[in-house]
Amino acid sequence: MPELTYREAVRDTLATAMRQDSDVFLMGEDIAEMGGSMGVTHGLVDEFGPERVRNTPISEMAIVGAGIGAAMQGMRPVVEIMYEDFLTLSTEQIVNQAAKHRYMSGGQLKVPLTIRTQGGAGWSPGAQHAQQLEAWFVHIPGLKVIFPSTPTDVRGMLWSAIYDDNPVIVFEHRLLYPVKEDVPEKLEPIPFGEARVVREGEDVTVVATGPMVHRSLEAAAEAEKNGVSVEVIDPRSLQPLDDKTIVTSVKKTNRAVVTHEAVTRMGFGAEVASVIQYQAFDWLDAPIERVGAKFAPLAFAPVMEQFLIPGPEDVLEGIYRTVGRNGD
Amino acid sequence: MARVVFLREADEEAGLLPVVRQLLQERAEIVCESHGQERTLAPVAKVEAKKKGLSDERLRDFLREMLLIRRFEEMVEERFRAGELPGFLHVAIGQEAVAVGVCAALEEDDVIASTHRAHGHTLARGTSPNAVMAELYGKLEGCSHGYGGSMHLYDIERGNLGANAVVGGGLPAITGAALAFKFRKEPRVALAFFGDGATNIGTFHESLNLAQLWTVPAVFVLENNWWAESTPNSQHSPITDFTQRAVAYGMHSIKVGGQEVEPVYDAASEAIDHARRGDGPVLLVVDTYRLVGHYVGDPQVYRPKGELQELRETQDPITKLRERLGVTDEEFEQLDAEVTREVEESVEFAKNGTDPQPEDALKNIYA
Amino acid sequence: MATEIKLPRLGQGMESGTIVKWLKSEGDAVKKGEPLYELDTDKVTQEVEADATGVLLKIAVQEGEVPVGQTVAVIGEQGEEVAIEVAPEEPQTEGSRAPARDDERERGSEASAQTEAPSGNGATRSDGRIKASPLARRIARERGVDLAQLRGTGPDGRIVAEDVERAKASPAPAGAAAPAGEVEIVPLTSIRRTIARRLTEAWTVPVFQLTIDVDMTRAVALREQLVARMGDGAKPTLSDVLTKISASALMRNRAVNAHFGEDGIKRFPTANVGIAVAAPQGLVVPVIQRAESLSIQEIANVRAELVGRARDNKLRQGDLDGGTFTISNLGMFGVQQFIAVLNPPQAAILAVGSVEERPVARDGEVVVRPMMTVTLTCDHRTVDGADGARFLEDVKAFLEEPGLAL
Repeated sequence: MPELTYREAVRDTLATAMRQDSDVFLMGEDIAEMGGSMGVTHGLVDEFGPERVRNTPISEMAIVGAGIGAAMQGMRPVVEIMYEDFLTLSTEQIVNQAAKHRYMSGGQLKVPLTIRTQGGAGWSPGAQHAQQLEAWFVHIPGLKVIFPSTPTDVRGMLWSAIYDDNPVIVFEHRLLYPVKEDVPEKLEPIPFGEARVVREGEDVTVVATGPMVHRSLEAAAEAEKNGVSVEVIDPRSLQPLDDKTIVTSVKKTNRAVVTHEAVTRMGFGAEVASVIQYQAFDWLDAPIERVGAKFAPLAFAPVMEQFLIPGPEDVLEGIYRTVGRNGD
Repeated sequence: MARVVFLREADEEAGLLPVVRQLLQERAEIVCESHGQERTLAPVAKVEAKKKGLSDERLRDFLREMLLIRRFEEMVEERFRAGELPGFLHVAIGQEAVAVGVCAALEEDDVIASTHRAHGHTLARGTSPNAVMAELYGKLEGCSHGYGGSMHLYDIERGNLGANAVVGGGLPAITGAALAFKFRKEPRVALAFFGDGATNIGTFHESLNLAQLWTVPAVFVLENNWWAESTPNSQHSPITDFTQRAVAYGMHSIKVGGQEVEPVYDAASEAIDHARRGDGPVLLVVDTYRLVGHYVGDPQVYRPKGELQELRETQDPITKLRERLGVTDEEFEQLDAEVTREVEESVEFAKNGTDPQPEDALKNIYA
Repeated sequence: MATEIKLPRLGQGMESGTIVKWLKSEGDAVKKGEPLYELDTDKVTQEVEADATGVLLKIAVQEGEVPVGQTVAVIGEQGEEVAIEVAPEEPQTEGSRAPARDDERERGSEASAQTEAPSGNGATRSDGRIKASPLARRIARERGVDLAQLRGTGPDGRIVAEDVERAKASPAPAGAAAPAGEVEIVPLTSIRRTIARRLTEAWTVPVFQLTIDVDMTRAVALREQLVARMGDGAKPTLSDVLTKISASALMRNRAVNAHFGEDGIKRFPTANVGIAVAAPQGLVVPVIQRAESLSIQEIANVRAELVGRARDNKLRQGDLDGGTFTISNLGMFGVQQFIAVLNPPQAAILAVGSVEERPVARDGEVVVRPMMTVTLTCDHRTVDGADGARFLEDVKAFLEEPGLAL
């Protein structure tokens, strides 16, 4: 089996789609010769040319909006927003236009647009280059949102995003790009709405997204040494969300920890916790823990950044709290 | 008679630019004095060279269409006051010539996007008054099946990519549609309607910038009716001649008066052909008048007294065309009766339409 | 219009009762007359019937002691609004200690410190509510475990599933089984408390005891004849014979068939003979009404049914009311003679010992006869020595010559 990094996996999907489908093209800032600020689109302009791998001006509204227009005409554009933080600039087009055209027209058209972006902390990017905003977009009817955490997942789910007839936001994460994994020989599409049980366990369910999936696995290994058996679930697609897998797991373990790198308060995890609370109320042996970033913009100084962002030890603490221990 | 001004690098080389500047300045003065005084319209750019030869017959069609829009809009006002129409309504009385003239210049496969003041554009593009009125009444038979209302009129079959309640919201998609046409090498044009108020918002700048950069077949039709809701141009725009906006992007622009349908048609044809040829997008500035308030029910406290009355008397595009064609009173009355009946029938059609089921609200969210 | 179901006064002197178990759940359909819940009173645990038809909209008191007249539930139509206060939860009773934690899960001294804390009202309760996880509550519900008896080992003393799983499930009162070698504290049930109260009361009554030995030869033979004729009925016993004989004797000695009351001594026209029964839940005294008018076989039948119900804890108030006299028999245990404690307000109680072959003197010779010793305890305020003696004399006479009772 070939081994690909997350970055290479994204590139592979884009290239494969563009090779067989002339309706797929890319737009974004610095994606051509430079290959994107994260090097994801490296080499693609050489194969597909500047028409199909288009550098854009710094115009997030137009980048997304032009994508909407082309998508409405039946093409399958994949636009890149360099930093998740800049989604804020194109939010009007995403929320008021892309998400609602189909609905407001009474079903007359589709917007098969894919928006790829990346965010997250690491290496002191500062408050305006580090946010995790998935909570905003899962809240908008008409949008789909995915957050794959492994090369195999992003490879298969990005493909599904491109061929989904709805606007899809694909959240990548800067710290995930170098993650390596053996992937299937041939690209296998992964449908939305299916969570992945990453690790099986008996005592507590940890629902994790993005980089927290990997940190949770670390925490789980540590917890195992102390006799606590941890099940880790990666929802992978946030909207639609696979309630069933998550709830079934909590009914088995009776305890849940929900974790994401985004700020805990009012975050995506609050929705997952609410789903669990409602559907598994009589199975809960402890309150549901949420582990996320503390409520502050991301400070620059590394020691402060470290303090704010949840690490494996924070997940471990959450795990121990649910099994009725107060930590060491 | 003034000449059509094409702002292009080539012209600069040809030494035309200084002349242009002078003309612009002359026009600027006239425009600034527009409020509270007896006004002469800014010199209308009449296209001499490329008259497409609009026959009288065709012009009569235009008259009928404009009158239909007029009576439709008047009926909308009436029905709104009667309490029958929910939501926000913005009628385009006074701007009929722009809608009709521009849409007449489009081919069937071209696409448009409109604003919140979309009834005229939608009707002019071929959607039946029944479908529009039914949409205003929120019925399934409406062109958006009750999901959109006045500000979200869509008719994909007729290339209408939707009215938009967000100022400037539809512009980027027009750039994108034009891009798609270019990709596929289709001889189609994407055209956006928007107002003077929209020239200040980010999407306007980004869309025009990108369209020109990528040389896509787009036409941006700026309906300058001198008011952004209650804000006159002098309060929202640091420039008075909107063709200057195009200069910033190196884009072609054309300016034309919007109260006579013929020059509008001609100017639009020019712009559309330009784009379709692959010569790049065009900003078409059409000076027109809003002979009503911003929204139905707007008391227009912000408008100088007497202005409206005067404009209605001197700047009605229907009156102008009628006079231009020499239509007799009888003929006009007959035409009027015809279109009025059509409009009344559309109301009947709408009222007898089917209400959506409440649960229909959960459909059509995802493809 | 919804009907409030209030705790009924099921017998004289009943001030309150303890709801033990609901036989219907909220949302169930209920017909008037259907058993609705089990109630533990001073004397007995019994089923209480619903006095309305409809849907059980709300259970106001899940379990615990309730004064007579308080609303315990509401029956009405589906969807009706119910506006009554829900009574607070489990009664405050002494909890037993939680068992030791599973070693596998032991982490640090902090955890064990919680289990070693003295039992009593600790962190498990907050604001009068019991802190338990939803899962723990569900398991407790399903197994009939009383959360009030448990001590929680979760954070803040919360009861978690493990705590409930370790508790042995049993009908109220619930409690964890004490490991061997520890003192077991059996909480007082309503019945035991009643017994305690009433017998303490009895001790204050001035009593005297009279003892007599009875030759049971004729009684035994009579019983055997009755057994031969019993047919489908219950098998008559010597106790049944004794019940009938006592009833006859009571009719001839009305002074003994009486109750003491502050406003006068009540003498009864019939002999309602109570039979002391050792039921699993404690001592109960079902009454055989109008025993003087029943045949011995009939008495046997009634007695068998009553004892059966007593053993199943299904006696009704009506089974226990109206006793005028009580017989207590410990003969089956080999006890030869004992003194029974009075059953106030009754005037007398007869304590019956075992029937055993004893040597006795008859006509100057020593013969062996089946002999039985009975002891009558009398309330001296009601009964004089002579009345008691005459009654006892009649009992002996009738047992030795049953024809005399006719």
